[in-house]
Amino acid sequence: MDIYRQEILEHYKNPRNFGDLNGFKKKAMDRNASCGDRIEMGIEVKQGRVEKIKFAGEGCAIAMASASILTEMVKGETTEQVKKIGEKEMIKKLGINISLGRKKCATLGLVVLKKLI
Amino acid sequence: MGPWLTGGGMISEVYIDKPAVWARSVEKWEAGTPNVEGAVGLAAACKYHQKLGMKNIRRHEMELTRYALKELEKIKEVKIYGPKDVNIRGGVVTFTFSGVHAHDVAQVLDSEGVAVRSGHHCTMPLHQRFGLTASTRASFYLYNDKADVDVLVRGLEKVREVFE
Repeated sequence: MDIYRQEILEHYKNPRNFGDLNGFKKKAMDRNASCGDRIEMGIEVKQGRVEKIKFAGEGCAIAMASASILTEMVKGETTEQVKKIGEKEMIKKLGINISLGRKKCATLGLVVLKKLI
Repeated sequence: MGPWLTGGGMISEVYIDKPAVWARSVEKWEAGTPNVEGAVGLAAACKYHQKLGMKNIRRHEMELTRYALKELEKIKEVKIYGPKDVNIRGGVVTFTFSGVHAHDVAQVLDSEGVAVRSGHHCTMPLHQRFGLTASTRASFYLYNDKADVDVLVRGLEKVREVFE
């Protein structure tokens, strides 16, 4: 069960920067319709850096853990650096082998974030 | 209506100075070699079913579904959808596992050698009606037996282990 390594499960059970998005002016949402995954993200950028980021929604362990890990990755980073994050880097950061079928789970958070940057 | 694809067997007459005349009827939409092996395969499958007897196949499917419903009901996290009476349901059992997303259930089952379908199964409005994000679906047929159901049940115990 390589894909459910400890860190992934830990992020799934206790997602970071997760909760109510009230107060965010900049918000975006996307879904993997056939999975029933939905991730919404709120962001606050100050002087070109990600000052605050939070996400909400529901999804599988991979979708939720990757969104959680992503928010930790980008907090404090410049928007230029965030723009450079691609699918490959996101999947590498998860440290697990993602099958083609689960790729859209692993990158849903990133898709939403890209709408905001 | 003209053809959407050209190829062998869909032409009647061809000219240099005027348009070709297509073959009559459905032939003009069946360019190229017909799906001969598909037709032969289908015929063989029909004969195989007739030999076994469709009633026997249905009885086997019902028996297996009855057993699966009984065994799956014992797992407290599992909620089964659809009628409990095997006379009015097919050989598929759709369920959710409390607290675990259907895709995660499917992934763990896959690692245990059990292939199931997960997601909306092309019925998003139905899932919304039940307030579900997604569900997992096991299908039984002629080629399965009770031992397969037991492997599924053990796989679900593994799901509990991974996600508890």
